[in-house]
Amino acid sequence: MPSQRQQRPKDGPSEYQTIAAQYAKAKRLKEIEDANKKLLGAEADEKKKPGAAETQRAAFEARRKRGYERRFGWTFGFWVWMTCIHVVGIVLFTGGFLLTRLVLDEKSECSVPPIEPLAAWEGQGSMDGGCWHPKTFDKAVVVLIDALRYDFTVPVKNLTEAEIYHNAFPFLYETAVQSPENAVLLPFIADPPTSTLQRLKGLTTGTLPTLNDLGSSFGGTAIDEDNLLMQLNSLGKRIVHLGDDTWTSLFPGYFEANISKPYDSFNVWDLHTVDNGVLEHIFPLMQKENQTQWDVLIGHFLGVDHAGHRYGPNHAAMTAKLQQMNSFVQDLVKTIDDDTVLIVMGDHGMDSKGDHGGESDDEVEAALWMYSKRPVFGRTKPEYVTPPATAKERPVNQIDLVPTLALLLGLPIPFNNLGRPIEEAFAGINGTAWDNLAAVSRLASAGTRRYQASYFAARGIEQTAKPGSPEELWETATEYAAKNINVKGRELVYGAYTAYQEETLRICKDLWARFDVPKMALGIAVMALGVLVLLVYVSRDEDDDFAVMDDAELDFAEKSLELQDAGGQTDLPSYQTLSQSLVKAAAVGSTIGAGLGYGYVSYMAEEQDWTMAAAITALTSSLAVTISLFGLGKSLTNLLPNTIWGWLGVIFTLSQSIGFASNSYTIWEDSISLFFLSTFGFVSMIAALRLPARTDRILGIYHSVVFILLGRLASFSKLCREEQMPYCTSTYYASANSSTSAPWQLALPFIVFAGIPSIIKGYLLSSRSYEGLAPFWIDWVFRGALGLAATYWTLDAAGNGQWLADYVSETTLKTIQVAIAQGVLALAFVAGTTAFVWAPPCIKVFTRAGSGGRTAQVTILGYGNANGARYLLLVVNFAAACMLLSKPMGSGALALMVWQVLSLVDMLDLNNLSTESIGPIILALLGEFYYFKTGHQAVLSSIQWDSAFIPLFTLRYPWSPLVVMFNTFAGQILACVAVPLLALWKTSPKRKGGLETVTRCLGLFVAYYAVESLATMVWAGHLRRHLMLFRVFNPRFMMAAAVLLVVDLVGILVALAGVRANALAVSEVFGWAD
Amino acid sequence: MPLIDPVTMSAPSGKTAAAGSGQKTASLDDEALCRAMPILPSPLAQAIRQVHPVILLSLSYLRFGALVRDPVPTLLNSLPVVAALQVAYAVICLPAAGSSAAVQPAKKLRPGEKRKTVADANTPNITSTVVVALGLSMFATFGFQIFFVLFGAPLLTHIPQTTLCSMHLSLLGLFPLFYTHGISTSDWLEILGARAPFDEAFGGLIGGCVGAWAGAVPIPLDWDREWQKWPITILCGVYGGYVVGKLIGGTLAYGKKFGA
Repeated sequence: MPSQRQQRPKDGPSEYQTIAAQYAKAKRLKEIEDANKKLLGAEADEKKKPGAAETQRAAFEARRKRGYERRFGWTFGFWVWMTCIHVVGIVLFTGGFLLTRLVLDEKSECSVPPIEPLAAWEGQGSMDGGCWHPKTFDKAVVVLIDALRYDFTVPVKNLTEAEIYHNAFPFLYETAVQSPENAVLLPFIADPPTSTLQRLKGLTTGTLPTLNDLGSSFGGTAIDEDNLLMQLNSLGKRIVHLGDDTWTSLFPGYFEANISKPYDSFNVWDLHTVDNGVLEHIFPLMQKENQTQWDVLIGHFLGVDHAGHRYGPNHAAMTAKLQQMNSFVQDLVKTIDDDTVLIVMGDHGMDSKGDHGGESDDEVEAALWMYSKRPVFGRTKPEYVTPPATAKERPVNQIDLVPTLALLLGLPIPFNNLGRPIEEAFAGINGTAWDNLAAVSRLASAGTRRYQASYFAARGIEQTAKPGSPEELWETATEYAAKNINVKGRELVYGAYTAYQEETLRICKDLWARFDVPKMALGIAVMALGVLVLLVYVSRDEDDDFAVMDDAELDFAEKSLELQDAGGQTDLPSYQTLSQSLVKAAAVGSTIGAGLGYGYVSYMAEEQDWTMAAAITALTSSLAVTISLFGLGKSLTNLLPNTIWGWLGVIFTLSQSIGFASNSYTIWEDSISLFFLSTFGFVSMIAALRLPARTDRILGIYHSVVFILLGRLASFSKLCREEQMPYCTSTYYASANSSTSAPWQLALPFIVFAGIPSIIKGYLLSSRSYEGLAPFWIDWVFRGALGLAATYWTLDAAGNGQWLADYVSETTLKTIQVAIAQGVLALAFVAGTTAFVWAPPCIKVFTRAGSGGRTAQVTILGYGNANGARYLLLVVNFAAACMLLSKPMGSGALALMVWQVLSLVDMLDLNNLSTESIGPIILALLGEFYYFKTGHQAVLSSIQWDSAFIPLFTLRYPWSPLVVMFNTFAGQILACVAVPLLALWKTSPKRKGGLETVTRCLGLFVAYYAVESLATMVWAGHLRRHLMLFRVFNPRFMMAAAVLLVVDLVGILVALAGVRANALAVSEVFGWAD
Repeated sequence: MPLIDPVTMSAPSGKTAAAGSGQKTASLDDEALCRAMPILPSPLAQAIRQVHPVILLSLSYLRFGALVRDPVPTLLNSLPVVAALQVAYAVICLPAAGSSAAVQPAKKLRPGEKRKTVADANTPNITSTVVVALGLSMFATFGFQIFFVLFGAPLLTHIPQTTLCSMHLSLLGLFPLFYTHGISTSDWLEILGARAPFDEAFGGLIGGCVGAWAGAVPIPLDWDREWQKWPITILCGVYGGYVVGKLIGGTLAYGKKFGA
């Protein structure tokens, strides 16, 4: 790389000469200004007394500084307003889109069955005999093994095909085969979302969770719907809980106080604390003398889940965990008495990397095993004796456990239940107890029907009685029940009620995919208006091109004018007042809107929904801003592209947005981003060929080639989503079934450590800007941080692979790791920000006697890139933090990203594109591209939760979510931080309108994400009945919305604030440009 | 897209030479400007020019089934045919590099007279020009192949497919340009910088490349069609784009430049 650069001084107008020329201009200016010899800034001030001119100059600079601060304030205000519009749009749409289900307060009662039972029994209507149905067991032990995927429990005979996690937990399968009357093993299908909290709700209430609950997954709110535990509690049964503390937040006060032992559930690094706690306390409780202390015992193990999150299923730790569970269940079975039912189950599965949350097959397929010492279970067909080989055969729904357990224990079925009794539990040991099956099925159906009636009444919906409707099926079933009273006929009755329940469940699933369309439309409208405002805001007409105002003489003339007119009001250029006018318009619009909204919601609307007021406020203020923008001469026509670059930007943005309507294009977004980035590189290579100067041509081609090659290189880092199979091979982790890095990947952080600082140095050297703080900061601090990050990941791998198990304990290792990680973050954020604020510009001033000997010759190295080079330090700091928080493969990818960004800004500079819209759009595309290259996909399960524990031992707010955010959106965050580089790179301190160019770039950058967000919103809303809605469109919308808010925040808090700090420091030395 | 220029609009094949020269005089400031290459005025050339795209398209239509079934053999077998077609088209319709028609704009000429000048003045050997141009096109295949990979084509698998696809693109898009421009550095700088004026050959190259680009669009769709496999859609894009680019380049856009 340096070879071409070294050619530069030889031929053509080299950068050195350019710098010299620029300097000459600057010097002339200074000479005129100060009449006599005078050096720059602070040095000069010390040497000589301030004369009159000096005082005047100081006053003048102070005035310009005040002006800058004022403009910055208004710009800041504009962006805060823009963010608010985005928040309102997203909240509105989400409120209408993510499903809501009405929670009914009714509870089932022991003495009031939903339908009169077919036969009478002793103790009917009481807990002694069974409330609605004769009870089978007195007590229950429920063991929940988190993330117990069904295939973990099915032994694989052919050892060559077996994965490392197979054959480790064979006990469940073997017992079910050997003694089918005592044990049943079945696939247990979870309703998404597959997060533990949602699953516990489903497993206890018997109803479907809705996505609206997902947001509370970390907080955990108490369940107030009717559920199994509530029934147990109200009937005087004692429940003991051991393990995962999610239960205690869902069911506060339900558990026996002294013997229940909850454990913290979110430390996914810790595989053993929770499990050992359960193991320690469960066996004493199983002893005869302690059996009297409880009726239902719940043990919730987290080891399997955590092993999945931390290592992925394909790891020795998973095998060990499953073996531990195997022997535990073996031991537990020995302690069970005749009147106790033992249930072992998973609440969800895990995907190939060990994560969960979504609705892919691997995530929803859990296992259910029921055991009784006394023969109870039966199969209605002989071939059903062998447990299903895969989870696709004879699966039961997780909600089915609710009526099953309720009826087995003689409890009333919770009011909201939609599940149906599991056949094996009621079929009798010969599998012919049709009367029993018909009875339980009829009861559960009646319960569901009662719930449906209440629900429809509460929602004000009419039920239909069309053929095939549940109502019609119900009629048929009742008719059958009345006619067929012999055992054989009962089979028909059972079938009829089952059909009713299946149809009801289908309808409910459909019904709760119910959308509030007006609210969604309102959200889309707010978003669309926001996008419109942003687009008009960034539109540019020919005469407000501030980049050309880089002219020393003009500047001097302007200054003199301003000085003469010191007292009076000068007319500010329109670009300087734009933000001010907009914020004022927004304020006026919001006030009117807030008034209207308040009035509407308080007096006119039926429901007190304050989001409506927010919507009205957002709409009126956007309208006011739009009107004022058009009033200021901005217009949409300026947005029409008139160059190939403009067209490229439009094509990239629009085709991506249209592509989100198709699941295929959404699924393959990573490849498509590469395709666009390469296209841009290709076109800029062609453009470079058109440059007049040979050196520029070579340099332009060189940067384009580097840009394309790096992108393609980064594309080898892949994490495939399920839908991409079998056309995709994951390379992000050691294997497709793991979430740890391969040993060779550990070399990446070290290569980054050795290479990236030198590469950044090379780019700075090209503009002679490797001066000031840059050498120390980049070569020592940044490199040091990267070295520490590399060490961190090596230790992490050592911990995962037990390489140092003989020398260092796991706790010590973790302590060292956390210390290193916190050190890197402190360097990047605390020291980094301080250094960035205080650093002088990256320049070096030489003074030497001129040739005539009369005037001193002053040379300023790095003058031509004074703004950009210094700002780069901030980007470097964020890069260091993001690289630490990404896995080794991700840090390699992010290093390539930094390099690509640098070649991008150089390309833009060479092709003179710094005012075109293409720069920010390519940067935004880079951000998206590297989202995929850092091991993410637009699915919930690709969130790397374990990253929360890189710098921390336990979950801590707000740091843990912040760390996960930096891990997840590292690409977009880094891109956003780099936005000002597009405007500032290779600009001199005399560049006018720096702030305005930056906000324009930021506007285009955010506009790209806002358009994507709007598009995914529109498509998710439009395709709300699409089969792939929750697998593809909804996750993509959620990602786009989150990304938009993240770039808004980072744009305001980092990019804009960084530009201000940069301008203050540069202007301190060179004076204010405008 | 380029606007309709009344001069070029009124200059169908016969008079294109005049338009081309006008273009040249208009921008003489740059010493060796690349010129739009007119189609030779002979009736045969005019006929072949019209037939050539039809043959290409019908050929690709006829071989489509085979292409989907076995891409590699089909691509390989059709390569000589396409090469022969392109050679015939170039020899009959286009001025060879170094020939007077290629070097200086043709004036009003009587067929007989022109043939003579071409024959005895600086006439290049047609055979050697064809051979050199073919050789260069084959060499340029690697360039296209590298670009295919950089745009996301598989790096280690499907190598024969990618190579053959690049060969087809090279034969269509580059061979006529090598034939007419030879290895003139200044001409190629303009062609690669997309500054050359449009003519059939340059239009064909641009069309072929844009077609290849657009050909990638259907690949990700989950339609599970056999023809979605690599590199069939690209190849269809190349052929379609080449024909369209050639037609536009030879007529509507003739003599115009990008960004002018």
